[in-house]
Amino acid sequence: MPAPPFADRPRIDALDKVRGAAAYAADMRFPGLLHAMTVPSPVARGRVAALETEAALRIPGVTRILTPADFAPTQRVADLPNSPRPGLVPEIAFRGEPLALIVAETLEAAIEGAEAVRVRIEGAPFSATVDSPGAAREPAPDVSTGDAARALAGASTIVEASYESPTQHHNPIELLSTTAVWADGRLLIHEGSQNAGAIKVAVARTLGIDPAIVDVKSATVGGAFGQKGWVQRQTALVARAAMLTGRPVKLVAPRGQIFHLATFRPLSRHRIRLGADATGRMVGVHYEVDQQNSRSGGFPANQYHDGAMRLYGIADYAGIAANIRTDTQAPGHMRAPYEHPACFAFESAVDELSYRLGRDPVALRMANDTRTDMHTGKPLSSRFLNECLQIGAERFGWSRRNPAPASMAAPDGTQIGWGVACGLYPTLIHPAVATLRIAADGSTRFAVAGHEFGQGIRTALAAVLTRELQIDERRLQILVGDTTAAPQHLTAGSWGSASALPLVVQAVARMRQAVAELLDGRRIAGTLHQQIATVRRPFLEVEVSQVGPGQDSAALQRMRAGGYAVTGPAYPDFTTMSYIAHFVEVRVEPRTRRVRVPRVVSIADCGRVVSPRTAASQVRGGVVWGISHALREATETDPRYGGFLNNDLAEYVVATNADVDEIDVGFVDEPDPLFNSIGLKSLGEVSMVGVSAAVANAVFHATGRRLRKLPIRVDDLL
Amino acid sequence: MSRNDDISAKGDPEDRNRASPQGDSTDPLSLNRRATLGIGAAMASSALSVVPLRAQSPQVTALPEGTTAIRTLVNGRPVAVTIDVRTSLLDLLRETLALTGAKKGCDHGQCGACTVHLDGRRVASCLTLAAKADGREVLTIEGLSHGDALHPMQQAFIDHDALQCGYCTPGQIMAAVACVAEGNATSRERIREYMSGSICRCGAYVGIVAAIEDAASRMGRG
Ligand code: FES
Ligand code: FES
Repeated sequence: MPAPPFADRPRIDALDKVRGAAAYAADMRFPGLLHAMTVPSPVARGRVAALETEAALRIPGVTRILTPADFAPTQRVADLPNSPRPGLVPEIAFRGEPLALIVAETLEAAIEGAEAVRVRIEGAPFSATVDSPGAAREPAPDVSTGDAARALAGASTIVEASYESPTQHHNPIELLSTTAVWADGRLLIHEGSQNAGAIKVAVARTLGIDPAIVDVKSATVGGAFGQKGWVQRQTALVARAAMLTGRPVKLVAPRGQIFHLATFRPLSRHRIRLGADATGRMVGVHYEVDQQNSRSGGFPANQYHDGAMRLYGIADYAGIAANIRTDTQAPGHMRAPYEHPACFAFESAVDELSYRLGRDPVALRMANDTRTDMHTGKPLSSRFLNECLQIGAERFGWSRRNPAPASMAAPDGTQIGWGVACGLYPTLIHPAVATLRIAADGSTRFAVAGHEFGQGIRTALAAVLTRELQIDERRLQILVGDTTAAPQHLTAGSWGSASALPLVVQAVARMRQAVAELLDGRRIAGTLHQQIATVRRPFLEVEVSQVGPGQDSAALQRMRAGGYAVTGPAYPDFTTMSYIAHFVEVRVEPRTRRVRVPRVVSIADCGRVVSPRTAASQVRGGVVWGISHALREATETDPRYGGFLNNDLAEYVVATNADVDEIDVGFVDEPDPLFNSIGLKSLGEVSMVGVSAAVANAVFHATGRRLRKLPIRVDDLL
Repeated sequence: MSRNDDISAKGDPEDRNRASPQGDSTDPLSLNRRATLGIGAAMASSALSVVPLRAQSPQVTALPEGTTAIRTLVNGRPVAVTIDVRTSLLDLLRETLALTGAKKGCDHGQCGACTVHLDGRRVASCLTLAAKADGREVLTIEGLSHGDALHPMQQAFIDHDALQCGYCTPGQIMAAVACVAEGNATSRERIREYMSGSICRCGAYVGIVAAIEDAASRMGRG
């Protein structure tokens, strides 16, 4: 039986956050703390011939400078998930690669030290952009189903167009910060991360120590968006510095360096042929995509198809993909990594199709609904996309729309456009272990794999815990992102809730059973705390675990070892996806051609909503991301030297308060009947998927200009 | 600025490239001051000196090169401290005074996460040299409310879920309180404009505007 609807409740950690009391990694204090600063490579490729550190070492307060000599050579392998990162190496693979680490008594001295290091480099030729000489095109495996060529040959209408999504950087406001403490034969690392478990393993491997002596804590993270999903290069450097100096060491990476150190959303180019029959049924798709990648980067090029092929009931789909290898740091997952660019392209194409067919874009989409995953032939466990469209259209007032482009305007000449687009995201899950401890003193502790970076996993866990159990919420401790409390796994891909929340239900059932066994037939009134106190036990603790549909204990083992153990969305008996429909109004000013987004209505099907308040905030945040990506964000590559030009928040423009107006969020709130005991699916990423297409479609409706390249800027509309 | 500088460690040559005083300075806090300011044991071993008031007189003790002594009022408490002249107010608050509520999001005055009040006006503390706080009053998020009672703006941020990760939140709240005090919370449009120096990457803007409207009415302004 899926859970009944959940009530509204405040965010559980909001009180600490509004008081400035929430402790992020860089807020941790340790006696004798040293500060570190990196020396980044000024070139994109080459070899360090000499590191001159004498001047830096003479600076008062500089205590140590780490160079490649301080690291045993590790094999420089592909930047694949979970591969050990090299420490410091003389070979330079990308601009901004750290070459040395300065450790000093104060931050000021560390910065001065980093600036005083002189590096002699033997440069090597490099390819900065996908169009540079030497950029290497490398096909990826096709993702195809049916016979798209035949279907397209029989189509009566074909839309063919190319779309482009730019390079983008996550830019959470929390900088990448690592604090390492080496004491009593153990290494403790505090870092804002989505993957404390992988840090534990990767740092141990890089430094040649036993992962069992490494503890990683990432209790509260200041935004992540995928940037903090894999292990940062700096983590092992700081850990090594702590081991060498015997003192705690902290590094807060400057944002300009983070643009070059962390992963990024690569440029991707999408070429789509979409065919429909005379009734408006979409019958076939030929979709070619290529993306920028690093020379050895493991971010797959063909996953753009995973979502696009499942958006509508299209049986014949040819998905082609390629990487274009350049000399950069590895790109990676950034919120809705594939679905956002793919749905921008695909949902723009669907809008183009609606105009070619003379059909209403909402009606056209609803007519192409499906109950089947066309790729596997299995049923979808739930799909309420048409409900999202229907509810959204009503709330937005879609029926008042004049479909003709450039037909709606305000008295001052401002052009008004209304656009719609859908999004979807796979519902994934990883194995997890949880412990629930209820103590006689009235406290409760729940520990599980997961990381809190604002999405609200603590609040969602508390929502289930407090509904299932009579416990004092003020005495409730929820431990996530802590390898000392529970084995940790990467939290990303919107799988956090599905991987953790059903364990609460299971743990509570196990706890009730354990209490019953303890009482052994005695009837004791009161709460579980009181019952445990009455029988003179300090606490009772139970441990439970779960694996995803179709997974076995090997997956659980992989997770316990710090590995990647995600499954879905195609499970043995069904496929599970989350869906959303966005309705956007844009206003294009007559003279400046500035695009404003005064209102958005977004209706999501994420299964059962567990924490309505934080869920709505998640969707609003996703919509802000979509607006930001549609109208603002792009990182410019420096073709002369490699690396990125606009590497700060003044030049890399993200949506500010003035860019956002009304965002009306709703949920279908229908539980998924198959995926888990609560009926929840996934939400964080789907919330932004399709927004940029809805904006672009609205811009077309307002102006008659079809813009196929993001971001849409004033110069595109002059 | 050359491209190399862009990705090297932050550096404003005029403010930050002076010689550092470190290495010869091991002055611990007196127990009293540590207790007063709530500074943990961490400070005792920091080479940056936070000296007790009575040892502060420049006539008695010459200050090491590149340092300066300042007296300021932080959240209503007197602070006398000898600082590296390059130290930003943000780093002073966070690294020396253990007031970690103000956050570093860019260190360049571009994000607003470090917003505090200096003599009642909002400033980006990362762009403010700590030396400029000499003789002035600093208010941080930690000093906005006392005990269990929240400032109306803090309560409004909770009520409207005007945050997600919470990292920008102390800066948003300090900016929001100033926005109301300045008389700039009179309409949603105006709030949006006057709050656009504080980036919320989580995208909590709708909640932030609603919280400010709500708190402004309770604060008797706006
Ligand atoms: S840290 Fe000061 S404005 Fe960003
Ligand atoms: S709450 Fe995360 S940046 Fe604002």
